[in-house]
Amino acid sequence: MSATGFTGIVVIVLFVGLMVFFSFIDKDRKTYNIRPIPAYEKIIQEINVAVEDGTQLHISLGRGGITGPESAAALAGLGILKQVIEKSSVCDHPPVASTGNPVISILAQDTIKGSSKAISISDNIKNPSGELIGVTPFSYAAGTLSTIRNDNVSANIHTGWFGNEITWITTAGERQSSPTIAGTAQLPAQAVIYASASDPLIGEELYAGGAYLGAGKMHQASISAQDVIRWIIIFIILASVLLNILGIDVFIENILAGTM
Amino acid sequence: MKIDLKSPVSTAVAIGVGIIVLAGYFIPSFTNIRFILLRTGLVLSAVALLVGIINLITVHIKKLGADSENSGYSLILVIALLATLVIGIIDMVQTYLVGKPNFQMTSWIFKNIQLPIESSLLAVTAVSLTYAAASILRKRMDLFSIIFFFVVLLVLLGSFSIPPTTIPFLRVFREWILRVPALGGARGLLLGIALGTITTGIRILMGTDRPYGE
Repeated sequence: MSATGFTGIVVIVLFVGLMVFFSFIDKDRKTYNIRPIPAYEKIIQEINVAVEDGTQLHISLGRGGITGPESAAALAGLGILKQVIEKSSVCDHPPVASTGNPVISILAQDTIKGSSKAISISDNIKNPSGELIGVTPFSYAAGTLSTIRNDNVSANIHTGWFGNEITWITTAGERQSSPTIAGTAQLPAQAVIYASASDPLIGEELYAGGAYLGAGKMHQASISAQDVIRWIIIFIILASVLLNILGIDVFIENILAGTM
Repeated sequence: MKIDLKSPVSTAVAIGVGIIVLAGYFIPSFTNIRFILLRTGLVLSAVALLVGIINLITVHIKKLGADSENSGYSLILVIALLATLVIGIIDMVQTYLVGKPNFQMTSWIFKNIQLPIESSLLAVTAVSLTYAAASILRKRMDLFSIIFFFVVLLVLLGSFSIPPTTIPFLRVFREWILRVPALGGARGLLLGIALGTITTGIRILMGTDRPYGE
């Protein structure tokens, strides 16, 4: 096994251990003191607005599939979709979902079906969709515009894998004067989201949806685990800088390479 | 008594395949089986595309009947989809049975319809991005938005390359911005995304997140 492979296994085992540990020690805890993320507070607020006004939320899950680096963003989006459906179960019009990837479209429909069954929504007409809008970036963006412009849609939540084409989607939401909550894992698109969405999700905030929307202990435990690993990374970075300043890094590298 | 086996079976398959694929990244003896599973996944994705297209056409045929202002767009989509499908089938027959050059008509559609449309949409994206950057201060008048706006402005001013408009100080400033704070920020964001990605994957491998039905 290579050194990279060994490091990878150590990281995964460390994460699993920390997540299990935090979920175990926090199992009786009722409230969690996690930093507020305005975008998730806005989602909860908009669910309440949709319940009171009889409007519906639009959730777009982006173009990410499940076999590439974009899969985690797409799966995080599906997690948020599930929570929003469960929380908006008393809405007159349940949320409408749209995707730009056929696999995620099937998973979205499955999530919708499962969540609707769990909250006893049996009426097919009331059930939210999970339709495939378009398979290229611009066909997806252009196709999503008609849903955003629907007068009955009170807020738009875009969580998943998007490129720069998200500027079309977020700008359309702003023109409709409807709140736009957006997050993606692609860096250039994050800059676009920061400039064009009313409530952006930056960096890892996209993956924290479950913890903020009440998906369960394991989601909160994963936030704590991330914090521990983050502190370890900060320590490693600072230690590397210090070693570099003192000139010890070359000495250690030589020892590791066996050239001393 | 009705026993629903769908949920435990799908969960077991997802966790099992996930663990083998993950192990394939770290343990060389699992590499071959990882590739087999990934290839199977890609084939299933192609089948999912067919299912997605059937779903797309069904949704839009339903919209045609509805009293909707967007039914015209649905009609265009259905006609374009069916026309492309028929042309694709004719092309396939001509290529494999008659022996004519490869997919001429389909290539013509992509070169002369799809490509120009996507290119023009890309051009409009540039305008849309400029509009978004210009309107950020109207949306959120906070410290970070002000910094964002002025950094965008200074980096753009420092990007001019034609002599009368070049400002040496701004060029140095732009390079410093790109090399130090932008790169550092991007690395920080990527680290956060990597941590989020790992926990999302682990939750799925542990079966606590099941985005494949209940």
